[in-house]
Amino acid sequence: MNTRSLGFRLVIWYASLLTVIFVLLGMLTLIYLRHYLEANVLDIQARRAQQIADTLLADLDRTGESALAKEVEDLYSPAANERFIRITAADGRVLYASGIPNDHSFDPSRVPVLRLASEIQRFRKENAPGSALLIATLRYPPTSGAHSNAGHGYIVEVGASVQRTEFTLSRVFLMLAVGLPVAVSVAVAGGFALVRRALRPVERITLKAEAITHHNLSERLPEMHTGDELERLSRSLNHMISRLEDAIQSSKRFVADASHELRTPLTVLRGELEGLAQDEQLRPPTRETLGSMLEEVDRLAEVVEGLLALSRLDAGEGQAESVRFNLAELVATTSDQMSLLAEDKNITIVREGERDVTVEGDRARLKQVIVNLLDNAIKYTPNGGRVRLKIAHEDGYAILEVADDGIGIPQEALPHVFKRFYRADNSRSRGQGGAGLGLSIVKSICAAHGVTVEVASVPGAGSRFRLKFPQPIPQDAQNSQELELQ
Amino acid sequence: MRILIVEDEKKLCDLIERALKAERFAVDAATDGNAGWRLADSYDYDLIILDLMLPGMSGAEILQRIRRRNQQVPVLILTAQDATEEKVRNFEAGADDYLTKPFAFAELLMRVKALLRRAPTSRAAVLRVADLEIDRMFQQVKRAGRKIELTPKEYALLEYLATNPGRVFSRAMIIEHVWDQSFEGLTNIVDVYVRHLRRKVDDPFPTKLIRTVRGVGYSLGESAKA
Repeated sequence: MNTRSLGFRLVIWYASLLTVIFVLLGMLTLIYLRHYLEANVLDIQARRAQQIADTLLADLDRTGESALAKEVEDLYSPAANERFIRITAADGRVLYASGIPNDHSFDPSRVPVLRLASEIQRFRKENAPGSALLIATLRYPPTSGAHSNAGHGYIVEVGASVQRTEFTLSRVFLMLAVGLPVAVSVAVAGGFALVRRALRPVERITLKAEAITHHNLSERLPEMHTGDELERLSRSLNHMISRLEDAIQSSKRFVADASHELRTPLTVLRGELEGLAQDEQLRPPTRETLGSMLEEVDRLAEVVEGLLALSRLDAGEGQAESVRFNLAELVATTSDQMSLLAEDKNITIVREGERDVTVEGDRARLKQVIVNLLDNAIKYTPNGGRVRLKIAHEDGYAILEVADDGIGIPQEALPHVFKRFYRADNSRSRGQGGAGLGLSIVKSICAAHGVTVEVASVPGAGSRFRLKFPQPIPQDAQNSQELELQ
Repeated sequence: MRILIVEDEKKLCDLIERALKAERFAVDAATDGNAGWRLADSYDYDLIILDLMLPGMSGAEILQRIRRRNQQVPVLILTAQDATEEKVRNFEAGADDYLTKPFAFAELLMRVKALLRRAPTSRAAVLRVADLEIDRMFQQVKRAGRKIELTPKEYALLEYLATNPGRVFSRAMIIEHVWDQSFEGLTNIVDVYVRHLRRKVDDPFPTKLIRTVRGVGYSLGESAKA
């Protein structure tokens, strides 16, 4: 999965946010619940304390302090109900204290005895060993601070273990702990589905946009009628493609017009000069001048041809057809046709590597690539040198190397050799002829075929051009694919 | 033989007219499409040389009208565009030949003659130029009775020059006929081959047959001949 994709990032953000909110909410719930439950327990204890005071302490004068313990045991049986009850006289005598409860959750004897003098809290939490106790305290008879008589009255303490509350809280916590991941997972899954649905038009626009090149600029992206941002996006992109199409159309028209405007005068010029040059009465210097002028016309025509060839290649005519052929064979016949050029300079053309390497493309254009590279190699190799042509298979690519042991290309010139009209060294190259467009044409044709061209060179030792052809899918494999499609 | 030229570039039109008249053709010229169509419509020409980009009616339109009237007159198209698809379209529309500017006049004249079936490209089995004999059947070359060994390319070059003795062939023409379009712009290859050919055909003999016309090209024939 692409972790940089918009969908993925959106879902991650939203899942994180959701998790944070859930956790906060859970924490608040637990805090509030604890508070509520404890208040509830204390309230019950307080009521019970009041009951004890109203029923037992009010009658104390009649029944006597000694009977108190039995009455409390009979009425409330604190040990069986896991309660804590203690009644203390104002002078500090403990009149009654409940025993260890049946579940042994706390030890009543460890709860400190209250001194009347100390501030009496109506509610408190006593951290007795084993379990904390929530205790409500009541004074009997109730006294207001001003008339308080320190030596008179009783204190009733009624408490309950927090165990029950804690148990409820832990259950709620467990529920949240299990529920939260489940809820987040469901939300993430839902989010993914939603985002994917929302982004499907983007996928369609992307696929279509990738398929549009300068060959099929008349095509448009699918128009979304969703009324949202995507509709606007697809519409803006389509407007952009229209503008591009117009620009390319007008540049094509320009090339056609320019070619007409340049070629016609060149034809006239050449025709006039040719007519003159063939006049037998001419004096030799005049004939020389005319010849020189004709040569310049030819060079001009060559530049125009080269430029037009390049603009046609730019306009997407780099590959007029797509046929499979044996690259090694094409290289062999082309180098044979050019062998005399090499022989003329005593240059040996060495062919090595494989004999059967199939590539796919426009045979005539690729032949032009070989011609241009070989011509260059021969041109820049001194008399008696060697030009090496190598064909190989390498990691699923067909490789063609044209290497010479000529003058080489200076390091700083290497990145520019494929640029139009670029010359590594003006004075030298011009003498060798050519319009300075040969390698640009090579590059353009190769680009149209998906062929990469690399150049390496050591000045004084030679240059090497390396072409990397994508290998066509074997014929039978392609057939079976087509069958599957049917 | 009467030829119609429809070409809007006045100078080029005049030049072609002059060149054709020098070859003793009767020539009519028009410099716009409408005038061209009127002429083509009114007279029976043996050949029409038609530029494609014309003011008024376009060359393609004229060609269509000529063919709609089912005239069998050969039409040679001149154009500044050499995109292959355009070529194919015009051949389909009924053009007989196609010449891209800038062209050599020698080539124009050869194509004109070929279209008029005055057959400069004679299919004779043996071509003879002075004491040079080219046997096309066996691809053998003899000069003054002595057999000369040539490579296939040298032979093709010599045979091409010999199809029209005395006529100057431009390097571009030679490349197109003897090699193929991939070699376009590689004119030095022609010079090298001509040099080799000379070494075999001319050097051993007192009379030189291969002539260089600087800036134009090469021709084959006794040098006295224009």
